[in-house]
Amino acid sequence: MTTITTENPVPGTREGLESGVLEAAANKRRKRTYLALLIPGILGLLVSFVFPLLYMVRMSFNEGAPDGVVIDTFTFQTYIKPLTDPYYWRVTLDTFRMGLTVGVLCLVVSYPIALFLVRSTSKYKGLLLAIAIAPLLTSAVVRTYGWMVILGTNGLVNTSLESMGLIGSPLKLTNNMTGVTIGLVEIFMPYAILAMISGFGRLSPQLEEAAGSLGASKFKVFMRVTLPLSLPGVFTAFLLVFVMAISTFITPRLLGGGSVQVLATEIYDQTTGLLNWPFAAALSVILLVLFGTIIAIYQRIVQKIGG
Amino acid sequence: MTESKLSIVDLTKKYAAGLAPAVDRLNMEVEEGHLVALLGPSGCGKTTTLRMVAGLMDPTAGSIMVDGREITQEPVNKRGMGMVFQSYALFPHMNVEQNVAFGLQMRQVPKAEQKARVAEALDMVQLGHLGKRATKALSGGQQQRIALARALVVEPTLLLLDEPLSNLDAKLRDTMRTEIRSIQQRTRATTLFVTHDQDEALDMADRIAVMNGGLIEQFGSPIDVYERPRTHFVANFIGQANFLTITVGEDVGPASAAGERNYKIEVPGLGHFGAVGASGLTGRSLPVLIRPHRLRASLQPSASVQELKGTVEQVSYTGDTLSIAVRVGDEVLQSQLHTTSGSLPHTGDTAFLSWDPEHAYILPEHAKAVAA
Ligand SMILES: Nc1ncnc2c1ncn2[C@@H]1O[C@H](COP(=O)(O)OP(=O)(O)OP(=O)(O)O)[C@@H](O)[C@H]1O
Ligand SMILES: [Mg+2]
Repeated sequence: MTTITTENPVPGTREGLESGVLEAAANKRRKRTYLALLIPGILGLLVSFVFPLLYMVRMSFNEGAPDGVVIDTFTFQTYIKPLTDPYYWRVTLDTFRMGLTVGVLCLVVSYPIALFLVRSTSKYKGLLLAIAIAPLLTSAVVRTYGWMVILGTNGLVNTSLESMGLIGSPLKLTNNMTGVTIGLVEIFMPYAILAMISGFGRLSPQLEEAAGSLGASKFKVFMRVTLPLSLPGVFTAFLLVFVMAISTFITPRLLGGGSVQVLATEIYDQTTGLLNWPFAAALSVILLVLFGTIIAIYQRIVQKIGG
Repeated sequence: MTESKLSIVDLTKKYAAGLAPAVDRLNMEVEEGHLVALLGPSGCGKTTTLRMVAGLMDPTAGSIMVDGREITQEPVNKRGMGMVFQSYALFPHMNVEQNVAFGLQMRQVPKAEQKARVAEALDMVQLGHLGKRATKALSGGQQQRIALARALVVEPTLLLLDEPLSNLDAKLRDTMRTEIRSIQQRTRATTLFVTHDQDEALDMADRIAVMNGGLIEQFGSPIDVYERPRTHFVANFIGQANFLTITVGEDVGPASAAGERNYKIEVPGLGHFGAVGASGLTGRSLPVLIRPHRLRASLQPSASVQELKGTVEQVSYTGDTLSIAVRVGDEVLQSQLHTTSGSLPHTGDTAFLSWDPEHAYILPEHAKAVAA
């Protein structure tokens, strides 16, 4: 008779049982180590994010009296106004529309740059990438002021167009949604470019060559190979820009000149102008829930498409 | 399947002005239905040549013709060639069927016909059951076969393969070698096959183009390049080789191969032997090639045959064969013995080397390496 030795213990045998127990213990230990490592991060999140958020939600059920007095109570009063007043419906819709427009335009202008940067074999590739994201080194405030100068009635764009005789009177490019959109698109471009580049991992010149050798024209190669493979980057970039656009405050306030009302500016006005903190908190909660839902749906769709 | 003839005339590629050309006035004629291996060391210009033929890269000069029609200026998507890349390049966002159907879609083949041809191509590579699989859920060998099916389904004028087996493990490589060869023979697709593996080339190819430094050193059948290498480089690259610099003596009559002569040769200071070579070599000093497995080594001197006497310097045992290195004067010669043959030599033994004249081939020219 021959004896069979197994490297892997057979379940049910004494040896197997013992090693199973040992393994479970080891797993447990490992899990505990992971948990221990997570504690600092979790604490940080609790203090800086979860508690303030909970505080804000609680605040939204209080009542705001004139002069910034917060009456501690539990009421849905603060929610009734934004949910029934058409003004707030319009602000919410404008916010959504702005996020969408800025997101789409930002993609359109950033996509070629990101694609170029990924595919470039130039030795200056690193430098070009640095230039593309260099605007991040200046604050959005500075860049917004820059755009105010460029787009203003006596700004670069209008004076050039006038001197070329293309327009008779200056275009209105500031203190409205047009200006805000232009400014935001430029400000978010570096983020969009970075997000796209990081999502272009599946692109490869070889796949394009393969498609070409199978008879695909340049246009077909782009439509059937390059574009589909770059979609993950595009989706990520859109989400990022959309989220930043709907929550941004500085540019709509400065370039909008008070005539562009979005949720962020509205919240700001309620907080610092009217000192109605419960109402501002309620608006924030609405912003959070509404756009959180939209983003969740978006992610679902993106996953379906198989990005 | 279409059988096409490929002609390459003075094909040259310079990547940059200052650099030496990667491919330097290369000429080659590939017959219909042949599988030609582009064989050579790393960096000799194999991929560059293949990419120019495929239309993925513009040549600096020269022309490429298929069936007599110049296609040098034609864009890649108009050439109708099938290419298999080293990393397969399967489209990750399409399943197996969609990958294989891609070329047919580009050619606007009707849906029903597409379906039939895709199924046929997948059956050919024995993966008919994997049509709906995602490409990332395939093994290397399976991906390789899909890539082959994708290239062949469009009935390409030429099939181009760039080291298609180099990413596979040794065993699978052997299987795929046989499979590619049999598919190629069935479809009779004229094929260019890049490899730097000499065994692969000898095994699969109808013709081998041995490349070195952007040039074809020799173009011929596997037997040709192995038995009758034109240069030192070719002899060395294809299989193992011993070289002895000899003086060619008297022509003693025709050899068995057409056009070749039997010669007496003198290994300076070591004696007179026999060898074969092209006609008219008498009096010249040239290298003679003897493959290790044709260099007999014995521990006893023979009474009847002229031999080289040397000392065994190294012995390496590989199971079937025993390789020994024997020092003869300034030279070290390699000999391969079958382990079935009687007593085996040990390091330090005196060995006697001999060969049959028809197994010693006088190279027609001095190579740089020998002259140096
Ligand atoms: N894009 C490029 N720019 C400059 N030189 C290049 C470029 N591509 C290849 N070369 C050079 O051209 C020569 C031939 O390259 P090629 O890729 O054709 O070699 P190969 O024979 O395919 O080698 P391997 O077996 O390593 O794949 C090499 O010396 C290489 O360094
Ligand atoms: Mg190569």
